[in-house]
Amino acid sequence: MSLIREIDYGTPPSAETEAVSLTIDGNRVTVRAGTSIMRAAMDAGIQVPKLCATDSVDAFGSCRLCLVEIAGRAGTPASCTTPVAAGMVVSTQTERLKQVRKGVMELYISDHPLDCLTCAANGDCELQDMAGAVGLRDVRYGYQGENHLAATKDESNPYFTFDPAKCIVCSRCVRACEEVQGTFALTIQGRGFESKVSAGMAEAFIESECVSCGACVQACPTATLTEKSVIEIGQPEHSVVTTCAYCGVGCNFKAEMRGEELVRMVPFKDGQANDGHSCVKGRFAWGYANHRERILNPMIRDRIDQPWREVSWPEAIGRVAKEFKRLQGAHGVRAIGAISSSRCTNEETYLVQKLVRGGFGNNNIDTCARVCHSPTGYGLKATFGTSAGTQDFASVEHSDVVIVIGANPTDAHPVFASRLKKRLRQGARLIVIDPRRIDLVRTPHVEAAYHLALRPGTNAAILNALAHTIVTEGLANEAFIRERCDGSAFEHWASFVSEPQNSPEAVGVISGVPPETIRGAARLFATGGNGAIYYGLGVTEHSQGTTAVMAIANLAMATGNLGRPGVGVNPLRGQNNVQGSCDMGSFPHEFPGYRHVSDNGVRATFEAFWGRPLDAEPGLRIGNMFDAALDGSFRGLYVQGEDILQSDPNTHHVAAALAAMECVVVQDLFLNETSAYAHVFLPGSTFLEKDGTFTNAERRINRVRRVMEPRNGMADWEITLAIGRAMGFEMPYDHPSEVMDEIARLTPTFAGVSYELLDKVGSVQWPCNTAAPLGTPVMHTDSFVRGKGNFVITEYVPTDEKVGPRFPLLLTTGRILTQYNVGAQTRRTANLAWHDQDVLEIHPHDAEQRGVRDGDWVRLDSRTGATSLRARVTDRVAPGVVYTTFHHPTTQTNVVTTDYSDWATNCPEYKVTAVQVAPSNGPTGWQREYGKHAEKGRRISKIAAE
Amino acid sequence: MTRIFIPQDAGARAVGADRVADALRVEASRRGLDVTLVRTGSRGLFWLEPMIEVETPAGRIAYGPVTAGDAATLFEARLEEGGAHPLRIGKPDDIPFLKQQTRITFARCGIVDPTSLDDYRAHGGYRGLARALQIGQPGVIEAVTASGLRGRGGAGFPTGIKWKTVAETAADRKFIVCNADEGDSGTYADRMIMEGDPFSVIEGMTIAGYAVGATRGYIYIRSEYPDAIRSMEKAIAVAVNRGCLDDFCLEVRVGAGSYVCGEETALLESIEGRRGQVRAKPPLPAHKGLFGRPTVVNNLVTLATVPAILADGAEHYAALGMGRSRGTMPIQIAGNVRHGGLFEAPFGLTLGEIVDGIGGGTASGRPVRAVQVGGPLGAYFPRALFDTPFDYEAFAGRDGLIGHGGVVVFDDSVDMARQARFALEFCGIESCGKCTPCRIGAVRGVETIDRIIAGDRRDANLALVEDLCQTLKFGSLCALGGFTPYPVMSAIAHFPEDFGRPKLPAAAA
Amino acid sequence: MDAAKLVMMANQIGRFFIGQRGIDPVAGIADHLEKFWEPRMRAAIIAYLAAGGTGLDGPVRDAVGRLDGNARGKVGAGLKN
Repeated sequence: MSLIREIDYGTPPSAETEAVSLTIDGNRVTVRAGTSIMRAAMDAGIQVPKLCATDSVDAFGSCRLCLVEIAGRAGTPASCTTPVAAGMVVSTQTERLKQVRKGVMELYISDHPLDCLTCAANGDCELQDMAGAVGLRDVRYGYQGENHLAATKDESNPYFTFDPAKCIVCSRCVRACEEVQGTFALTIQGRGFESKVSAGMAEAFIESECVSCGACVQACPTATLTEKSVIEIGQPEHSVVTTCAYCGVGCNFKAEMRGEELVRMVPFKDGQANDGHSCVKGRFAWGYANHRERILNPMIRDRIDQPWREVSWPEAIGRVAKEFKRLQGAHGVRAIGAISSSRCTNEETYLVQKLVRGGFGNNNIDTCARVCHSPTGYGLKATFGTSAGTQDFASVEHSDVVIVIGANPTDAHPVFASRLKKRLRQGARLIVIDPRRIDLVRTPHVEAAYHLALRPGTNAAILNALAHTIVTEGLANEAFIRERCDGSAFEHWASFVSEPQNSPEAVGVISGVPPETIRGAARLFATGGNGAIYYGLGVTEHSQGTTAVMAIANLAMATGNLGRPGVGVNPLRGQNNVQGSCDMGSFPHEFPGYRHVSDNGVRATFEAFWGRPLDAEPGLRIGNMFDAALDGSFRGLYVQGEDILQSDPNTHHVAAALAAMECVVVQDLFLNETSAYAHVFLPGSTFLEKDGTFTNAERRINRVRRVMEPRNGMADWEITLAIGRAMGFEMPYDHPSEVMDEIARLTPTFAGVSYELLDKVGSVQWPCNTAAPLGTPVMHTDSFVRGKGNFVITEYVPTDEKVGPRFPLLLTTGRILTQYNVGAQTRRTANLAWHDQDVLEIHPHDAEQRGVRDGDWVRLDSRTGATSLRARVTDRVAPGVVYTTFHHPTTQTNVVTTDYSDWATNCPEYKVTAVQVAPSNGPTGWQREYGKHAEKGRRISKIAAE
Repeated sequence: MTRIFIPQDAGARAVGADRVADALRVEASRRGLDVTLVRTGSRGLFWLEPMIEVETPAGRIAYGPVTAGDAATLFEARLEEGGAHPLRIGKPDDIPFLKQQTRITFARCGIVDPTSLDDYRAHGGYRGLARALQIGQPGVIEAVTASGLRGRGGAGFPTGIKWKTVAETAADRKFIVCNADEGDSGTYADRMIMEGDPFSVIEGMTIAGYAVGATRGYIYIRSEYPDAIRSMEKAIAVAVNRGCLDDFCLEVRVGAGSYVCGEETALLESIEGRRGQVRAKPPLPAHKGLFGRPTVVNNLVTLATVPAILADGAEHYAALGMGRSRGTMPIQIAGNVRHGGLFEAPFGLTLGEIVDGIGGGTASGRPVRAVQVGGPLGAYFPRALFDTPFDYEAFAGRDGLIGHGGVVVFDDSVDMARQARFALEFCGIESCGKCTPCRIGAVRGVETIDRIIAGDRRDANLALVEDLCQTLKFGSLCALGGFTPYPVMSAIAHFPEDFGRPKLPAAAA
Repeated sequence: MDAAKLVMMANQIGRFFIGQRGIDPVAGIADHLEKFWEPRMRAAIIAYLAAGGTGLDGPVRDAVGRLDGNARGKVGAGLKN
């Protein structure tokens, strides 16, 4: 294995299609028109010296090393900023160029520390390379002149340092922050010799608007911006390309290693989902893998009030099998089940459902997608025929109008957000539908044309009102509807949305959005060119989550925005493998590939292949499992990589259900909150320690590659195999690739997928089969998977969770950039520097009425429970709405959320809870009790450990 | 009623024009005279400022330089009738400095009331636009091309070709940008027009907008010109009120003190609200300029000359000048010179004619030793080169430039090593910091010249400065770094004795 | 199973299908319950209806009445899902 060094072409590729031929140093080169001379030269294998150019940002022309001479043209133009022209004859090496380049390098080095041997970038420094390339041997100016060598280092960011003494002011960091990330946190301050890189208004990085995405660090050609891990460890010597295990964007990274030690994660340029970009989580927040709290040995206990006892793997697995068999014997085959994780690989989730269906003999398998995107599966299948988004991420580069509804991409899907912001800066228009003023509403060089700040719980009404405007104002795309959609379904739908209760005027009253704003947004979306809709959990996590997904699909069909780049319905998946875990048959009613368990033909195929009879009845969903546990008919649960106690709604209810079970098996990296109720703890492995695949929000199947041995001794998939074996259900695989081969064999949409193919082409988007051997970036191009597009009536039904005198405010929950989900990983990294606790956002008006000041402790009460946290007074939320995150178990936000759920899928209604807020003097009694209980649940018996 | 004209040009105000105006007003009122004071621009004879003019049946009679204390004696001498007085100069047009000029761009400057659109029209204003509308867009571009007009900011790029490029580039919006960031030392032509004849700029930009299909224009004025900013804004307001800007929207943008913002791409960055920093070219502003749209960026003098070209015909303008430098150039004579001021003349006068003849030698009376033409980045010419005709190509042929037309005169007390140092120091102060040669090179250049001045390894350090100048010349992103070698190298080449090298043979001097 | 919760869930499902046009809401509700409700949930709601079914909306009652408490019912009457 060696260190992967991607070619830097210096400037981005040209988007033009015309071919142009020219001669560079005697070589004939043919490239696309608009290509820089520098890139054309690189195509011909000629490296023109450069420092300020890198192909992730536009040419800048400041370092003046890449100058060339062009026959018939005066002067020495920069090859990075000069495009090719037909017949051009370019020389990259002449005596004059040699002198100028040496002259420039001499100037650079006259203001640069000469500590190469002890510099963190030694061996990975472009300045060093260039000094060598131009043959600089002497700095005649001496080193006594004016310089920046005494400039102070900024070490405030937990992950990287900024050493201005080493800065060559090439602006690559500034440009990366602007062009790649779109945050505009960096600038050049001062002029002339005093020009220097500055975070914000000359602030420390940590205090500035910097989001720590790392694009600047990656762009820096010297040691100026360097990962602290590189400073500590040294330069990596080999790298492995893998896929991030955080959000549903699915960024590819090079895990750069020194031996078994991970030095840094560098976004992979050929990563098709991320195009070489990253966010603070994927790039930097991997330290949890080595966190001291990580559990590396299996543990068991008889009762949950006992301390844990470390045991061998065979003993732990044996205990699981024995208990599960006992429970099935005593309470029936359906008395146990499992929950798989959207953070684990496709192969692992496939195996867990296989274990349940084949080994347990029932369909009690569910996954955490239940509590996030299950409505997407149901809603898009009913309308289009496929439970997945329609586009690839690159599609947004062709969008003219973008609706972002119930999603906060800059926090939750930052790398996609950067792509979206880039398109918006190019002039695409934006409509935000969200109760909260998310960053996209107004961020540097981006401003939403419309922000529909609706009351939580009124998505379906707003979407119907948009449709009402489009239909009644004659803005529907009739040709598309006629050709592609079910005519009678459209007629029914059109007459429904045209009814007065769906008019913007009527919906304005319900939603609090001015009718003219709704109409304006509808007109823009229908007439503004390619229209794309991106949505998240703000759509799905409602009692009408599925209805709203269908309403989105209706809107896209009515405006003809499907089946080509730039349009589509795009669910932004929360976790890395939500799409994949759903694809893999993690729902209790479906086999892999979304085929119902009652389908005799499909079931027969699986029965034949697995050699076991399979249950034709749907199994229990997560919430149903809790209910069944409380009535005594469900006794044992295997939870892989999911902290249901913290992440599922109504914590009291979940805790009672867990406490009612006789055998709870938790497989995780850490003793999470759920483990306080567990009887067996099986230590899990991180994404760095196993092979597999993740499927991201764009249906892209990405490879996860093992970069180090599993510290716990077994990869997660091997643990599931062990449980199956112990229960008498042998699943014979030596490697996850064999699991994928089985998936491909049994699942038509995955028929063409293999590790061999993925290793060859990087990634593919399903469907991948003989009809589409390299996958399908855009779906429904000629016809919908279900045939004709189906319009579904989406009547607005208010949730039963209502505000009243006792609970006058609506709580909506979400997440924040630096933390991820329940925080099991990110809370165990330096990301705490940005977000060390959950806070409650409350409007100044509501705060004033309650005597709440910014930073005060407040008590948050709902019908189901109460918790306390600190308040942040901000007009980001509307009056009447409060907002918080659920990253910290010390808050346990879900203690206040309710049992209400989506009608079709039981996806919990996290986004609407009636609450009251009052000043408080600290954590509630329950929080203190809970803290003690959780602490007790984590005790590990010393004696047993010895 | 008698009209007395008093310049409100900043140059005249600096030497007391406002106090003179007050004194004349008080004195006239004390004497019960029916006198109206009209504030005009300057005629550009700065050694005579404040130069006032009185309207008489025989034409205007000039007096100057006038101080406030002269008010009483002037009226005693029957100023209102053009009476005799020691300060009486006579008819301005008979003053040799003015008489020798060919005023096209500056035809109205110092004569008209800059705030009066009627005055502007009465003196031929808006004839150019009328003609433009008659001959149509291609006709305008053809006329400007045929006139041979070249960019007066310094680069000398043919204006017609620039306009044609913008006209032919398809876009949803196009812009006209007037560069009035007149930062060159010893130049003031832009300022004088803005303060003396602002409507000519408005008309010129309107014609440009019509020709290329732009509906919006920006005038970028340096912040050091508060009078010009006021004057320009006032004229725009008048033009808007009078319906002259119904189809073309004009806005003044004020710089923030950066010399580099006079470079066209840095200027565009500045208007866009960004850090004033040079853009790499291509793309040319004509293709992708302001806000990424095709943009005409012209110097103010260029634009202010357009109405006259249209009004009187391209041939008339093209008939003047020499070689490829057609028409007239407003030469701005400054520095240590007896007759400093604005001298508009067809290209072709020799440097000697300008400095010794028109300028009348130094103000100090000492011999002229060096002349810097074309601003702080222009070359220093010794007397040996005084036969160089004022012409873009002729100056370029002698490693110089005419730039924006500034001529700064030095007598024999000048230390050319200090001047070379100053050029690099200026480059360092004004560098935007984007490109390496300029950002670091200027600082190293000053340090190296200091060593030369201190006598430290002179030959090695002179060689280093020469190498640095090569790096600056070929390596810099814009003309600031690219032209800094002109003053430095010309000082070393023509005045080696100031750098510890032997003096050039006397024959050359 | 908590009957009140099942009633609420069933009525929620009912509300959606009752709003559809061009399909039989009772068939749609029955199909949904068969496809997505685990047998013990179906058994519980059938038992609840048998005991009077208080609170179940009309079409929902009809749909629950059609459910077969023992074997799999027919698939495919409602939305293609």
